[in-house]
Amino acid sequence: MTVQASAPLALRWHRFFGGRLTLVVGLAILLFFLLVAIAAPLIAPYDPILQGADVRLQAPTWLHPFGTDNFGRDILSRVIWGTRIDLQIAVIGVLFPFLIGTTVGTVAGFFGGPVDAIFMRLVDIILAFPFLVLMLSIIAILGPGLGSFYIAMALVGWVSYARLIRAQMLVLKNSDYAVAAVSLGFSRARIMFRHLLPNAIAGSLVFSMSDAVLVLLSGAAVSYLGLGVQPPVAEWGVMVAEGQSFVTTAWWITLFPGLSIVCLAFGFSMLGDALGEVFGVHE
Amino acid sequence: MNDPILSVRDLTVKAHLPDGVRTLIDAISLDVRKGEIVGLVGESGSGKSLFCRSLVRLMPSSRLRIESGSVLLEGRDLTAVSDAEMLKVRGAEIGMIFQNPTSHLDPVMSIGDQIAEGIRYHQGASARDARAAAVDILSQVGLPDPARQYDSYAHEFSGGMRQRAMIGVALSCDPKILVADEPTTALDVTIQAQILRLLMEIRDRRGLSIILITHDLGVVAQTCDRIAVLRGGRLLEEGPKRTVLSTPRDPYTVSLIASHPSIAAEGGPAPAEAAPIAATIRPLLEVDDLHVRFASGGGLFGARGKPVSAVAGVSLRIMPGESVGVVGESGSGKSTLARAILGLTPLSSGHVSFEGVDLAQQKNAALFKLRHEAAMVFQDPYNALNPRMRIGDMLAEVLRVQGATPVAEIPARIGALLDLVGLEREFADRKPRSMSGGQCQRAGIARALAVDPKLIIADECVAALDVTIQAQIVELFRALKRKMNLTLIFIAHDLAIVRNLCDRVVVMYRGEVVEEGLCAEVFARPKHPYTAALIAAIPDIDPDRPLLADIRCDPPPASPHILERLP
Repeated sequence: MTVQASAPLALRWHRFFGGRLTLVVGLAILLFFLLVAIAAPLIAPYDPILQGADVRLQAPTWLHPFGTDNFGRDILSRVIWGTRIDLQIAVIGVLFPFLIGTTVGTVAGFFGGPVDAIFMRLVDIILAFPFLVLMLSIIAILGPGLGSFYIAMALVGWVSYARLIRAQMLVLKNSDYAVAAVSLGFSRARIMFRHLLPNAIAGSLVFSMSDAVLVLLSGAAVSYLGLGVQPPVAEWGVMVAEGQSFVTTAWWITLFPGLSIVCLAFGFSMLGDALGEVFGVHE
Repeated sequence: MNDPILSVRDLTVKAHLPDGVRTLIDAISLDVRKGEIVGLVGESGSGKSLFCRSLVRLMPSSRLRIESGSVLLEGRDLTAVSDAEMLKVRGAEIGMIFQNPTSHLDPVMSIGDQIAEGIRYHQGASARDARAAAVDILSQVGLPDPARQYDSYAHEFSGGMRQRAMIGVALSCDPKILVADEPTTALDVTIQAQILRLLMEIRDRRGLSIILITHDLGVVAQTCDRIAVLRGGRLLEEGPKRTVLSTPRDPYTVSLIASHPSIAAEGGPAPAEAAPIAATIRPLLEVDDLHVRFASGGGLFGARGKPVSAVAGVSLRIMPGESVGVVGESGSGKSTLARAILGLTPLSSGHVSFEGVDLAQQKNAALFKLRHEAAMVFQDPYNALNPRMRIGDMLAEVLRVQGATPVAEIPARIGALLDLVGLEREFADRKPRSMSGGQCQRAGIARALAVDPKLIIADECVAALDVTIQAQIVELFRALKRKMNLTLIFIAHDLAIVRNLCDRVVVMYRGEVVEEGLCAEVFARPKHPYTAALIAAIPDIDPDRPLLADIRCDPPPASPHILERLP
């Protein structure tokens, strides 16, 4: 028995360290982007929307380390300023769906019956439409802009969280500790939010990190279609879109904002993995 | 006697841990002859399972290594063969069956295919021949309709049927030796008797040698030819069954034999405790013709299956301070009854009244009373505690919600509760994950006591624990009962424990009470044939008192098994 007990212990040590490494790397990347966003006015060498007719489509040089675009704007400065907007998109675009989805999923899963049926049919309806089509229709109704994007994201994005949490709640509400809580006279709200939700939420937290990546990309897609961030504001997705027609001649216009998206996404998914390890989601 | 088929000499296994080397199997030598059943007895941690796994080099961790000694199978040293050759030994020469058939059967492969697979792999038979051979094996292990059940999956079988199927899988490769690791521990006592008899039949028919690992000396006494007693990785004593049981040499063996329930029963628990209760005292709990029905199956759009009765007309009266055991095999409705009494499962009809307040008629008042004066202890100690909460926080929350303890006194009360259940006070800062099963169960009992209840219902609360821990928890209940004048309803499938702890016993079968009475009375002179069968199926430590020849063999209905798991 002692032997069998020591094996999972060794495994846990490994998990702890393995988890720590991804946690450190993920946090470091996100912290780096956060600092860049905060310090944007200080570290950006040029004004991100300042056009220069004489420096159009320049390849990377010491003066313009990331090169310039077709309006002669400095790509490095635009990438730095874009960090602000993209971090904001990732955080807000995940936070509201997360909150709405978690609440709906908790209530639906816990109560079951008609409450559950109503919410889940709503989920089915939303899932029946292609994600981007629904997003674009909502934004089209509300008018282009980042605010509309956030609202559309909140209206559409919560369904995944609701499903995840609901599935967990359905299992957990039958666990003995939930029954014990009922038998001890705990209120339903207390059982739902204090006892079951903390045990149900780990999977959604992990998912929210990879969701941040998806939100980032849909933000870019919406901006690319001209419904999100409006030019000339520097946003990575917009920059990739703008540079698209020059890919063969001026690769740097798309490469650097594209790389930034990849790096930030990498940071989020590392953190997601680490959270999964910490919460023991994979056990 | 004939030469040993398996001869283990000075087998030593050590664990290489970061903090040093530990010896887990210490120079054990053991012989197994053809057609012999050898019982390996010892508590968990004694190395009995590891010993058998070492025979076929199935080490549970890469840190464990066979350091020295030899394992001679018909003269061939298994510690020297290559890994590739070992693959042929496993299954084909030494087959294994385990305690939990559910986790050792492939859930997505039909039972028959799992047996046929071994036949094709080890004997190179064609698909058609393998199928025929597999059907034959299924009938040998006593499945009633082998041709049809070939295509069944593990989840369609009851626990006993699964264990039969797993024995079939082990037999499929026609091994010379079968290692059975606690094959009946997870089963009801009547099913256990059937499986043990099956093992003996197979031995007789095939001339198979069996190594039977168990913690229950009764099982050994009933089935084995020889006994080996292990403790802490060392072989304490080995010899023919009757010699070891009648004249044990090692003090540990003596204590094992003395603590066996079938022996303890001779002295019997002092029935004086169950002093006749004056008729003027009102019963604490009255259950009158209680029915609990569940709709079975049933789709999304109506088309409900016909309801299944989990509890069918149970009447009980429980006096204050009494401890009552409820026994019956799985699916007999014991757990549903417990939950119905506590108002955790809706009643279909009948009455439950707690101190005179009727749960059906004055629902809110009764629930309020139950929530503040009754508590439950659960079977799986890990599942019963919120994994994210420290034990101290958990108890504090109960005390706060219950509201009977002033906030300032809560920390002191938590300490007192931990003392009461025999946990160190530092456990207040621990989470369930870092605690053993026994410690978690103590924490679960502390939570029940935090309510300061008049009634505690313990639902199979020792079934998931080790035998030695079981004894400790039972002892704890006995102490608490004495100290706090608790009324206890103790649900178990283990009759020996009930006999030890309770004054009265209620025997349930398929949702009905078939017999009830004082423990001593019922166990000595069971009136109902089912009770008699239950008692007869307990393997007695006396080898001359064989398991009752033929116990009712019809498997229990499938649906109540599922019902047990419903909320």
